[in-house]
Amino acid sequence: MNPPVLDIQGLSINYQTELGPLQALRDVNLVVPEGKIIGIVGESGCGKSTLISAIIRLLAPNAQIKQGSVNFKGKDLLSLSPEQMRSLRGDEISMVFQDPMTSLNPVLTIGRQMSDVQHRNTSSRSEKNARSLMMLERVGIPDPETQLQRYPHHLSGGMRQRVAIAMALMAEPALLIADEPTTALDATLEVQIIHRLKELQREFGCSILFISHHLGVIAELCDEVVVMYAGEVVESGSLREVFIDPKHPYTQKLLECDPARIAQPTRELPVIEGSLPNLVNLPAGCIFRERCSHAMTRCSAERPVLSGGHHQAACHLLESSP
Amino acid sequence: MSTLLTVRDLRVRYSVRGGFVDVVHGVSLDINRGETTAIVGESGSGKTTLAMALCGLAPIHGGEVRLDGEMLKQDRKNRLNPDRKRVALMFQDPVGSLNPRMTVRRALAEPFRIHGSDAQSPDKEALRLLSMVGLGDDFADRYPHQLSGGQARRVGVARALALRPDVLIADEPTAGLDVSIQGEILNLLSRLQKEMGVGILMITHNLNVVRHVADQMAIMYLGRFIEQGNSQQIFDQPRHPYTAALLSANPSPDPDAQSSQIELKGDVPSLLQRPSGCEFHTRCPRAKVQCRNAFPELTATNGNQQFNCFFPMGE
Repeated sequence: MNPPVLDIQGLSINYQTELGPLQALRDVNLVVPEGKIIGIVGESGCGKSTLISAIIRLLAPNAQIKQGSVNFKGKDLLSLSPEQMRSLRGDEISMVFQDPMTSLNPVLTIGRQMSDVQHRNTSSRSEKNARSLMMLERVGIPDPETQLQRYPHHLSGGMRQRVAIAMALMAEPALLIADEPTTALDATLEVQIIHRLKELQREFGCSILFISHHLGVIAELCDEVVVMYAGEVVESGSLREVFIDPKHPYTQKLLECDPARIAQPTRELPVIEGSLPNLVNLPAGCIFRERCSHAMTRCSAERPVLSGGHHQAACHLLESSP
Repeated sequence: MSTLLTVRDLRVRYSVRGGFVDVVHGVSLDINRGETTAIVGESGSGKTTLAMALCGLAPIHGGEVRLDGEMLKQDRKNRLNPDRKRVALMFQDPVGSLNPRMTVRRALAEPFRIHGSDAQSPDKEALRLLSMVGLGDDFADRYPHQLSGGQARRVGVARALALRPDVLIADEPTAGLDVSIQGEILNLLSRLQKEMGVGILMITHNLNVVRHVADQMAIMYLGRFIEQGNSQQIFDQPRHPYTAALLSANPSPDPDAQSSQIELKGDVPSLLQRPSGCEFHTRCPRAKVQCRNAFPELTATNGNQQFNCFFPMGE
């Protein structure tokens, strides 16, 4: 088996705030094997965005990497110079953002933007154009020649997101990061985009890191799932392991809350009581303790670590019952 | 069940270079007291424009709207002029719809200042509203940027319900929220609806939400309702092929679920060039020649389900 495309070990990131350091990520491990689609699930504030920004090294100026490594195809991304990093972005690592309205430049034509992202390529303008055309066809855009002349506002949301995907895959990256690429779209378009993404992934053989809080989309697309809560990875495993047999109480709660899983219509939807812990003054012990119905004395004293084989969860319950 | 808001053949038309577009193209709908009616459809189908028109924020081109049987008048710009105390709107972007320079207290007291009211003091009312939506007094002096998405939604709910409206129009009330927070907001709306008997028109594209909270639903495509009726009934047996595709497209969080998705080909046609005949024929898996040439009239089933299709599902 080939080494993983992306291997993050023990990553901890703080944000400097007026109240003191906010510990946004703590000891995060994440492995993206070659040719796999990995989904990251978690609520807002769980550190998903910080994690992606760390991978592409676009962290906010007040962020500080405390420790850990981000290994991409044998290179430690954290030690690269800004120039080296820039040559990786959009070439070997590319990204599809949440909002297709703002990720495209409104004053340039689609064709111009698609040629621009091929700036590393020394081929002629017509060759670049031909390649843009081919990519638009691949993502299923009708009448691609006309579309190249058009501006982003001429296109619908679904088309814009497909253009963004075409641009991201243009350089045939080893890793594609997709940050909630379908939240701005409706159900039928969402399915279209997911299927297209899956097809393209098979075709190009790239790995995808897919971030979403839509559990249905994750189930539809991903091979493996990582569940994050308040800056920590609390559970990881294959899609089936995590979604059918969740081990961590947070994962269990999160899945229970999904209205899609509740067969009988109800006006009283389940919620996770309580709120996220303060990441400036971290509580001792397990991060989920205050909202957990299984919390024991041990949970307030000792922080649980990930345990298990391929399917891992960080919970004391799992250690006491083999 | 008493009907609060009656909408008949409502049209919203915008003029564009070289012509016009009908963004809302003859929509009829009833909203009942204490009930939730959901409108679903893809972006660009006219959902938000319909909401805006009902609140008097977009000009109407035709049709009529009655509130408690009384016809709503139009102002000089052809906008409906509902009593704003009775028809409230909850905007799509919860933070963006709050004034960034106003504290939560001021934002919540504003409806009372504008409309005057017999309430003792607007400030006291603001605190009452905060506790109604489950936020503590300490939120009163915060600014919008100091609120999380869920908290800002709660403020939005409080502000919309401040003057005890009869109708609440909620545009994507849970978009962008996590499942747990989404549950909190929907539970809050359901509880307040029960207490106040407000009729809710909910615009959303989250079908999981619709299934749980909506009594009635309408599916919008290119500015028209192509199917509407009791939501349970529609979920059980969609008749319009577009509804069927939309419902089947809803990704299931169960990895073992047998996928029976009906994938639609192509994109939503442009409003500038509406297809002939049935406007869905360009993407419909069941389309026949007839669909291209004639517009299917409204068919009603005995259980109040209505749709426009020559070859409905299940026949």
